[in-house]
Amino acid sequence: MRSLLSIFKKIKFKKADIPKASPPDGTSFKERYDCFQKLLADNNSILETMADMEEKLSGDYMFDMHYVNSKCDILVEKVQSVIENLDSLSNGEYGGLYDEFEKINAVIKDTLAQKIEIPVTDFTIPFEDVTKDMVRSVGGKNANLGEIKSRLNLPVPEGFCISAHAFKRFMDYNELGDKISVASLDPVSMAELTRVSKEAQNLVLKARVPSDLEKSISDAASELERKAGHRTSGFYASVRSSAIHEDAQFTFAGQYKTILNVAPEDVVSAYVEIIASLFTTRAIFYCKSKGFREEDMVMAVGVVEMIDAKASGVMYSRDPTDERKQGVIINGVWGLGKYAVDGIVEPHTYVVSRDVPGTILEKNQPVQQDMLICSLDAGVIDTRVPDYIKRMPCLTEEQVITLAEYALVLEKHYGKPQDIEWALDLNDNLLILQARPLRIVAEKRSKSIPRSLPGHKILIDKGQIACKGVGAGKVYFVTKDEELKSFPEGAVLVAKHTSPKFVTVMDKASAIITDVGSLTGHMASLAREYRVPTILNVETAMKTLKPGQEITVDAINRSIYDGRIEQLIEAGKAENPFEDTPVFEALRAVLKSIVPLNLLYPEDKERFSPKYCETFHDITRFAHEVAMNEMFKIGEGAHRKGEAMKLHVQLPLDIRVIDLGGGVENGSGKITVDNITCIPMKALLKGMMSIEWPGPPPVNVKGLISIIATTTMLPNPEKAFSEPSFAVVSREYMNFSIRLGYHLQTLEAYAGDSINDNYIRFLFRGGGASHDRRARRTQLIKKILEKIDFHVDATGDVLDGRVTKYDRITIEKKLDIMAKLTVFTKQLDMTLFSDDVVNWYVKEFIKKHYAEETKPDT
Amino acid sequence: MAKIKNLKELMIPITDYPNMPYWATLEEAIVLLNFSYETAHDTILVFDESYGLIGVLDQKEMLRDIHPGFSKLSPKKVSDEWEKLIATHNLDQLKKPIKDFITPFNIIVDVEDHVLTAAHLMLKHNIDLLPVKESENVAGVVKMRDIFHEIAAFILRF
Repeated sequence: MRSLLSIFKKIKFKKADIPKASPPDGTSFKERYDCFQKLLADNNSILETMADMEEKLSGDYMFDMHYVNSKCDILVEKVQSVIENLDSLSNGEYGGLYDEFEKINAVIKDTLAQKIEIPVTDFTIPFEDVTKDMVRSVGGKNANLGEIKSRLNLPVPEGFCISAHAFKRFMDYNELGDKISVASLDPVSMAELTRVSKEAQNLVLKARVPSDLEKSISDAASELERKAGHRTSGFYASVRSSAIHEDAQFTFAGQYKTILNVAPEDVVSAYVEIIASLFTTRAIFYCKSKGFREEDMVMAVGVVEMIDAKASGVMYSRDPTDERKQGVIINGVWGLGKYAVDGIVEPHTYVVSRDVPGTILEKNQPVQQDMLICSLDAGVIDTRVPDYIKRMPCLTEEQVITLAEYALVLEKHYGKPQDIEWALDLNDNLLILQARPLRIVAEKRSKSIPRSLPGHKILIDKGQIACKGVGAGKVYFVTKDEELKSFPEGAVLVAKHTSPKFVTVMDKASAIITDVGSLTGHMASLAREYRVPTILNVETAMKTLKPGQEITVDAINRSIYDGRIEQLIEAGKAENPFEDTPVFEALRAVLKSIVPLNLLYPEDKERFSPKYCETFHDITRFAHEVAMNEMFKIGEGAHRKGEAMKLHVQLPLDIRVIDLGGGVENGSGKITVDNITCIPMKALLKGMMSIEWPGPPPVNVKGLISIIATTTMLPNPEKAFSEPSFAVVSREYMNFSIRLGYHLQTLEAYAGDSINDNYIRFLFRGGGASHDRRARRTQLIKKILEKIDFHVDATGDVLDGRVTKYDRITIEKKLDIMAKLTVFTKQLDMTLFSDDVVNWYVKEFIKKHYAEETKPDT
Repeated sequence: MAKIKNLKELMIPITDYPNMPYWATLEEAIVLLNFSYETAHDTILVFDESYGLIGVLDQKEMLRDIHPGFSKLSPKKVSDEWEKLIATHNLDQLKKPIKDFITPFNIIVDVEDHVLTAAHLMLKHNIDLLPVKESENVAGVVKMRDIFHEIAAFILRF
């Protein structure tokens, strides 16, 4: 029930509010604070999104283009919102950010829009007109075969390609692009994968080949039949997939279909079947998991005369299990090569030296029982190897040496070891059916890193991993920015706090360890960009580690070892299986406009400005920094406001509170400390009330001791502040301008649930004593603040200190200390006769009010 | 012929002098004077919050206050009592504010007054330190030793 009085008071407040509710710029505190809050929230989600995207670069996760696009959409929206809120908060002072945002956004859009342009070509292209540069038109396999035919003049079957352009025609004609959507498909869900795959294949198989394309294929098939006629009686073709990325860096081995021994009239339907194989569950999964974009799923097809092979097989221009071994390896089987490729029968094996002409170094010719041959009426059949040949080598020594020569020519031409399919036709002509880069299996390293290594001492096993990896080097403490200048190559950076300024040594640092820090902070992001193994929130690194000490940082298991452990360093060298995939490249490319931080030094007023913002990270950091400054100024207008409530508190301070929402419970007028719900304000008041304030004036037997006279030797003869102290508060935020004695201090703090939001800023200026003593007080405060991890700038009697990114509890603890410091230093300037006195007071304060261990004096 | 210096010349400005607010503790005062040893300062000027000068704290007074009743002890017992005090760390007195120990100023000279006027007042009130005002505000203090030195120099010239 509200009393009449409280209603009256409310009315009174309201009345007072109307003319004075807004600062001169017309925006109310509340509105400004709302903007600030939104900005903080956006800042956090931007940093989190960036962290998530960078994490994906580690190669430990599967993601697709849909992921990249949607994350970029989030960033664009949030960064835009950050700028808008800063705009409102600062009354449009930083409008220049919009321009920079537009520029960056345009680059990102361009980067994301880059998809494979399908060149406009004929629907069909004969192999003799194809070179290896035509991957985008005919697919990888076709391009290679064409190259071998047109440029190397090695024997290759006759054939033609059905181009990527033809694929586009087929898809567009049937509107399959719209009907089949694998973009948002979650490749981990097998059920969904199967459903989408089935639907897609059905759609393709039921689709009609447009007549122009059909005609082109039929014509090309007739032409092929004519050309190949000299070799075979009754022409058949092999119809093979040649997807755009097949055989490039990725083998796609066995993902798509190949149809052997197809009659000319069936080439068109075989074509459709092969297109459908682009959408098998296996192929979609492979594509998605290897990080290809949906746009990259383009299928060209090769139509090659079917070689009714007497023998066929595979050869490697080098030993794929050991690149150092010298020798061409040739496998062969009687009949079609599929049995050799699929490993169904044990092939004949030859190792040939790499000189020309080569010599056969090894051979193994097992007895072959079964073989695959072309059936007379299309298709292939399994049959017994005729007795008269089953114990004979499938190749003559001369043929073996010729094949080895072909392999070396191909390797030389492509500059890489090759994996080649060959065939021997019924007329004993050797033919190259396919060539692609050979995958050399690197020596398998043990990727699993033990949690702890016996015989090695773990110094620390706490903290959070910001960037995975292992690094070793000598400990180098960074306590001041200047120390970064002499950062030794290969050292481990150890610091109390994270700082974006560390980026200047990230190319030299072998690892980073900090006692405090946020995984989504600026520095963590940069560490991931530079791939520096980094552990944050270690808590005790500055105490446990010694400068110059050699350590190994295992930022995979979160262990820091004494000494250098090669075994771990080696094991930590992770290979990234997705490194070269298009979607990985897209992510990496787009992150270049997002992550790098160019705005490192807020104190550099010239360069810390909108026009130097080159990335979203720059904009966000700039806006966050500037927004904090704008909020800091909010207190300046507080005394002009009429909505302040007097705080009834047992302190010699006249405190007026302005609530922005959630900072004060029960706004009925009279408020006490118990009504304060503002987290930082509560912590501060608690601290202020826990310490003894200067006692009452002296008395002697005759009564109050009188002052003989007042001094005017004060260099700034301003009067002691008698005006009230204003606190602008919300639940998490406090901006408290305290007028105490002869100085003014503004204490601003944010203490919420997100570490990135939290900070304390402390501005202190003035005093009643002579300038040198005031300056000494500033130094005294600086020294104490630095003990509680503040970054402090102090000139003369002006001090600006700041601490950021601590959890709420720690912020509260620091505020408690600051409350005591406020009382402790009240008019202390008067006393500070010499620097020795200052040092004594610093020690005294630490002893009395900050008993916890502090970092050693430097 | 050199003139005798005036008070303005002999005065030590307040800004060069050890100062303290009345709520500072005895311990702080001892620390301050101890650190000021090299400067030959042996007293502390005590102010209130609005920089009103209220008194002075000298070495003798501090010594007296470290041990309650120090001056009343018999000379023979003094050292024992002190040892006891130190051994038991019973230094509660040190935490007391200096306001309880200061000697209030009752007189003040004007910067325009003659040095001999200042000397006269110091003799009359049995004090070694005298505040000096300039335009109704405390500007500094003069010490007996400086006044004596000036007068001595003046006399010895004959």
